Amino acid sequence: MQNSQSRRLSPWFFILLALGVAVALLPYMFNVSHFVLSMFMQATTYAIAVLGMVVVLGYTGQINLAQAAFFGFGAYGVALGTVSYGLSFWVALALGIGIAGLAGGILGLTTLRLGGHYLAMITISFQQIFDLVAVNWIEVTHGPDGIAGIPRPSFFGHELSDDRAYLLLCSIVLIALIIAVWYLPRTRLGRAMRGVRENELAAEVVGVHTLRTKVIAFTMSAALGGIGGGLYAGGFAYISPDNFNFQRAVEFLSMVLLGGAQSPFGGALGTTLLILLPEWLKEMPPALQFIKDVYLAIYGLAVILIMVFMPEGIWGLLRNGWMKFARAKPVDTSGIKPLNLDIAVTETTPLLKLEGMQKHFGGLKAVDGVDLEVRRGTVHALIGPNGSGKTTTLNVVNGIYKPTGGRIIVDGIDVSQKSPHERAAHGLGRTFQNIRLFPSMSALENVIVGAQRDNNPIERGSAALRARAMSALEFVGLADKADAIVRSLPYGHQRLVEIARALAGHPKLLLLDEPAAGLNQTEKMELVELLKKLRGGHGLTIFLIDHDMGLVEKVSDRITVLNFGRKIAEGSPQEVLRHPDVIAAYLGDANAAA
Amino acid sequence: MDALANNFQVLFQGLALGSIYALVALGFVLIIRATNVVNFAQGDFAMLGAYIMVAFLVNAGMPYWLSFALAIVAMGVFGLLFNYGVYYPLRHRGFLPVIISTLGASIFLQNSVLALFGAQPKRLDNVVAGGIQIGSVFLDSQYLVILAVTMVMVAFQYFFFEHTMIGKKLQATSQDKDMARLLGIPVALMIAITFIYSAALGGLAGVLVGPVLFVSIGMGSIIALKAFAATIIGGFGDVKGAIVGGLFIGVVESFAAFYISVPYKDAYAFLMLFLVLVFRPQGFFGEKVSEKA
Amino acid sequence: MPLLELKNVASYYGSVQALKNVSLQVEQGEVVTLLGANGAGKSSTLRTISGLLRPASGEVWFDGQPIHAMAPEKIVRLGISHVPEGRRIFPGLTVRENIMLGTSNRGRLSKQQMETEVAEMFEIFPVIKPFENALGWTLSGGQQQMLAVARGLMAKPKLLLLDEPSLGLAPVIVQQLFATIRVIHSRGTTILLVEQNANMALSVANRGYVLETGEMKVEGTPKELLGNEEVRAAYLGGHG
Repeated sequence: MQNSQSRRLSPWFFILLALGVAVALLPYMFNVSHFVLSMFMQATTYAIAVLGMVVVLGYTGQINLAQAAFFGFGAYGVALGTVSYGLSFWVALALGIGIAGLAGGILGLTTLRLGGHYLAMITISFQQIFDLVAVNWIEVTHGPDGIAGIPRPSFFGHELSDDRAYLLLCSIVLIALIIAVWYLPRTRLGRAMRGVRENELAAEVVGVHTLRTKVIAFTMSAALGGIGGGLYAGGFAYISPDNFNFQRAVEFLSMVLLGGAQSPFGGALGTTLLILLPEWLKEMPPALQFIKDVYLAIYGLAVILIMVFMPEGIWGLLRNGWMKFARAKPVDTSGIKPLNLDIAVTETTPLLKLEGMQKHFGGLKAVDGVDLEVRRGTVHALIGPNGSGKTTTLNVVNGIYKPTGGRIIVDGIDVSQKSPHERAAHGLGRTFQNIRLFPSMSALENVIVGAQRDNNPIERGSAALRARAMSALEFVGLADKADAIVRSLPYGHQRLVEIARALAGHPKLLLLDEPAAGLNQTEKMELVELLKKLRGGHGLTIFLIDHDMGLVEKVSDRITVLNFGRKIAEGSPQEVLRHPDVIAAYLGDANAAA
Repeated sequence: MDALANNFQVLFQGLALGSIYALVALGFVLIIRATNVVNFAQGDFAMLGAYIMVAFLVNAGMPYWLSFALAIVAMGVFGLLFNYGVYYPLRHRGFLPVIISTLGASIFLQNSVLALFGAQPKRLDNVVAGGIQIGSVFLDSQYLVILAVTMVMVAFQYFFFEHTMIGKKLQATSQDKDMARLLGIPVALMIAITFIYSAALGGLAGVLVGPVLFVSIGMGSIIALKAFAATIIGGFGDVKGAIVGGLFIGVVESFAAFYISVPYKDAYAFLMLFLVLVFRPQGFFGEKVSEKA
Repeated sequence: MPLLELKNVASYYGSVQALKNVSLQVEQGEVVTLLGANGAGKSSTLRTISGLLRPASGEVWFDGQPIHAMAPEKIVRLGISHVPEGRRIFPGLTVRENIMLGTSNRGRLSKQQMETEVAEMFEIFPVIKPFENALGWTLSGGQQQMLAVARGLMAKPKLLLLDEPSLGLAPVIVQQLFATIRVIHSRGTTILLVEQNANMALSVANRGYVLETGEMKVEGTPKELLGNEEVRAAYLGGHG
């Protein structure tokens, strides 16, 4: 196989890694004051919590305004575990992280299906409750006085009471976590997260369990907050509720936004800058000293300005600048295996069967009792005037809408009540009328998300996923564009990437919603060739909508015509396209109009 | 004091506090409907309104009603600035950037006010001194004023939205912006009006609640969270739901504080919110809105 | 001077070119229809005229002034009313309120005036009269379409743009609708009609244009167009 692009490390990675290690060792090389050491300690532990924000906000696109509470869980876990219950530091830390993760998971499960606004408010509420409990439940939390005398751990018999040694531990943990978070987007889970961020509906339809992905992201974010908080408690030996209030949560948010939420390096950079900021303000000339008093107000203003002028943060700016100079390496397209689309046709029952399917929206009967059978291994077209219920039918078939009535049976299984990702796992692939790709991911990554659906009959492991995706791209003729960010591809190519994404999942049933829309004549010809290639005896069944009758006639075995939500004709292309009712529905009935 | 009188007293307080949540929740709902985003600085509109009142009434020593009028007008102007500074530049960028931007505005407002007025909470006096004594129940005048003003505002808003052309244009804007533009409705102006009105409404809530709670930097966030809980409990984006949700939270919170525990007073609203989200996420009045775009 | 004139207009949706080179004229008092297959650019042409889509090049003139750089809310005030595809009824407002909002381009109307005009609409569209106080979303497709046209007429337009009014409607409803379009025309409104129901459209039109992939292909009278192979081709995609 070709050189793995995803395993090609950018030189930046090593430069930054070396820089991180150098900073971690700095205190050993120079005489550093206690004050500076504690600032470093703060920066490293905060940065770990901010990594959680990178995962949840930057990668998955979900807001979390309770990171200070999760930070607090870790810190209280260590503090109470060691001071009140006499546990070892490591056990207490593990407990703290576990509780933080658990709280994050539960919070996510209850609210993530509701989406953005709820999530923002619920996490703020959760943060406030945490604060209330920390202050008021004095018997356990020691209330506003906080907890002092938190011990530091020993590490294989090595006491870490020395600030420099403990800082080194924190730095190593931070560097390890940065690498982990940096690697995450290249994994199955990480791609699912980014898919959710880029286009949640498309992610669900190609087989990503979007709710589970979001809950996992939230849990990871909370656990990272817990790790940061636990180490913070050990580092400062004293904690109080002030360290974990809403203000702190907003600081974490500002840090990740300033640095750049899409990268762990951005998160670490933002953290460092905002921790140093107050110190820099102290150095200001007296005339500017008032800034010190309003620096939180400046924070707020900065958040607005960053959102307006620098949505990808400092790291995003740096990376975009770097990208301009970096030359893209050509994609190695040698040794790509032909795409295997074979489906064993063992049964003679229809692959897709709609029984009295209805979908109503208020008074609109978009689909009103459609019965339809799609035979295995055929191309079946659904045509009809605009508004006749074609796209709605497709949306009900693949689960975006639940039917108002009737049943949908795919390969002998009633899928009417299944979610889109379950249907994808059952072998349904789909493209959309108005292309729904993951715009800021590469063509290859887009297609890999399609390949990684559950039950895809390919070998396990990332190499197999990649190979499958490259085969799919090669099949549509875009293997050489594998590394291109899809947003930058021309429209016709985007359509093909979307088809490749669906094919990579090795579907039994492929739903194509107006694949020819927006294509010019040449592209349409190419699409016809592609569809003919797909028909070529793989056993793949295609159910498509299009308005281009030339295309429909050339590729279909059977055509069903819908008009105002009902079936008005069905049969071979020759029969249907000469059917008087069909001509009337399209061209209008000359007699009726006279 | 017998139990019945106690309960009545608590109910009365709960309704008054609930009215404040309802007023702020109304502001929330209007902005949600006009822009599809939640304004996280909505509570700080109340806080800012209260401080402006303090500035005019206490610091500048102006007469009550003049200060009151000036505070509301100032909040309206502020709403306009807020629209152009915080919402407008991000209007095409999806909800997450806007949410974060309003959050930034909230932090900015709180800390600017902190720098100007200091951390010490301020006092505002009741609009009218005293109250009404009925048997062993004492109806504080400020609570009565709050209830009355809320009722007037709800009636006004109902009239404004349902019976004036501009109200209908605002509704049309919130339902389909492109179509509204095709009909000649100045959409940008409609959204600006929404912000002006919401800020004035928030300011009014702040001025009214000032004498009951202390005027403090954090007063806005706590009111906003409960108001938001009210909008969810009532049904997201529903005007009637916001009012009922607000009153409901006020009452439950007052009873829970009276019978269970005071320090956790602020937690009950969130607890209810969680329960509603788990068991009835569409809220009391919300229907499962048809999914068709 | 034509009432409406497009000169070599090109428009884009993001990076997708919707119109390549569209020129057309509509004279005062005409019904002109714009035919073409799906995706040919018919709706984009109307959106460019009403200002929802800003042309990348070319000019749009209406009533003696250029309008291609104007915002939609300005254009409608000049007297172009666009009834878009998909009806776009305000779902949470009543039928009456939807109709009333059609006057938003005309400044304040007296209560009396408003009442008279709304009553007039219910006369032209008796189907929706019984639903006067029902919310928009509860109406059926045909009723929504009638409502959308009524709302568009309340603007008292010099030019009415109708985008696929027959979309998703049963034949008998389509006939009612076209009868109504004739009535509207006979009252003096100039109409630019986009339709995929070509026979229907040509039965009411004075002239027609055929669009294909963003370019004007044919222009002619209904008779010429009905006899033209390319018109059939545009509909059944080269078949037939």
